[in-house]
Amino acid sequence: MAGPLLEAEGVTKRYGGLVANDAVTMTLVPGEVRGLIGPNGAGKTTFVNLLTGFEALDAGRISLAGSDLTGLPANQIAARGLVRTFQVARVFANMSVRENLLLPFLAAGSPGGVLEGQARARELLATGTLEHLAEEPASVLSGGQRMLLQACAGFMIPSARLYVLDEPFAGINPVVKDTLIELIERENRSDGRAFLIVSHEMAIVRRLCPRVSVMIQGRVAAEGTLDEVARRPEVVQAYLGGAAA
Amino acid sequence: MIFSAELLVQTVLSGLMVGVLYALMALGITFIYSIVKTINWAMGEFYMIGSYIQFVAVHHLLGARWWWLAALISTAGTFLVGLILEPILIKPMYARPMQRRDDYATVVTIALLLLLRSLAVALGGPNQYRPESDLPVVWIGPLPQEGARVAAFVCALLALATFWIVIKKTWVGLALRAAAQNRVAVQTSGVDVYRLDAIAFAIGVALAGLAGALLAPLFMVFPTNGAVTTVKGFEIIVIGGLGSIPGALVGGLLLGLVESLGAAFISSPYQNVYGFLLVILVLIIRPNGLFGERGRET
Repeated sequence: MAGPLLEAEGVTKRYGGLVANDAVTMTLVPGEVRGLIGPNGAGKTTFVNLLTGFEALDAGRISLAGSDLTGLPANQIAARGLVRTFQVARVFANMSVRENLLLPFLAAGSPGGVLEGQARARELLATGTLEHLAEEPASVLSGGQRMLLQACAGFMIPSARLYVLDEPFAGINPVVKDTLIELIERENRSDGRAFLIVSHEMAIVRRLCPRVSVMIQGRVAAEGTLDEVARRPEVVQAYLGGAAA
Repeated sequence: MIFSAELLVQTVLSGLMVGVLYALMALGITFIYSIVKTINWAMGEFYMIGSYIQFVAVHHLLGARWWWLAALISTAGTFLVGLILEPILIKPMYARPMQRRDDYATVVTIALLLLLRSLAVALGGPNQYRPESDLPVVWIGPLPQEGARVAAFVCALLALATFWIVIKKTWVGLALRAAAQNRVAVQTSGVDVYRLDAIAFAIGVALAGLAGALLAPLFMVFPTNGAVTTVKGFEIIVIGGLGSIPGALVGGLLLGLVESLGAAFISSPYQNVYGFLLVILVLIIRPNGLFGERGRET
């Protein structure tokens, strides 16, 4: 078996007295699709921000395929292959859908040049059912389409090995959801790209993620298949209320 | 005052000519603001640097014939100065977590203004210089126009076209447009937003440097020669709307026209007043400027 792709060790973040991430440790293997679930306020988005360099760690270490990412700025982390999406899709509204896709490809300085980028963009637009909107400004897109575009823009980074998707399915219509699931499955199959998917949509998590990690109060409380973790008393308690485990 | 069609045409022409050069300044200010999110008060000092380089290049090195090469050198020179200064002076405000960072950055540009002016006095004295120009008078129909003015106008148009091509057709332009819209998201694309800041700052001040070089034979070279054009630049920003590139262009032309027409048909000593009247009018009718957005995005 290949070595681990992502190694996060003892990742810690404090906001004053609140410990948002308390020595979070997580390992992903290449090609894995992992779910990250947990009640609201458990620290999932903080963990995503720490992994991708949008917030600074107070303690801990993060590496991707053996190369240390700890303390690097967000753009360098993305360039080294750890790419994220945001809960509220951040697209460049005044740029065309195609330009939104080409930017990350060109920023990576891909040797294939613009032609290869165009071809890759066409392929993603087709899978993402956004072809007919390619030349439109991204401002015309619906919330769900923006989420698709944001994901596709991440898929344009040639060096990307791990995608961290923060609530990609929240508040988007079922058709767009299916398209996004298809895109994720396809990228995972064809290029062996790994995913860490933060989501509350258990049906989708069950379908996409053989394993999930559960975060409760800033810690990883359980790991395993969704059915396994769902039986753990501390998980049940965290979701259904009562005193935390 | 005598009204004649010829005078009107000539006035409109000269207003448009100077307006395009004002627009260069305004474009520089608005472009830097839209990416770096800092108002650069030292714009006029980069205009001044451009004019000094132009003078030294034409008077001491190349001769009047090579004014266009000197203008290219002035533009490249101010670009380089901007590229070197931005990471030292502006970036630290944005790279560290701190409050009111744009205010600090703005104050730094005011300090830079004083520093550069004092440097100019120290190096060249308070004297006025003028690079020679051997460009012949250009006749547009029956109307004579100063050669240097026509040349400045043409070069400014070329610079605007080049700017447009860089922004619309190159990947750096694509990245700059993206950064102007969302500084956070552009980092997820793997783009180094601080490097873009330096490039944007350098491009912006290079536009001012070019304006300074082109106007040097008309408006002279001295330590505070950028002050007036900076004020014009900011007038245009108010007219056109902060952060709007079309606003900078249209605002520049409008200001040039209003000043020129006012000077010719009302009274020339009050030339600067007409521009301010236009500013006040725009503030009353459209407080965000002709092309300005209603709210600020963070």
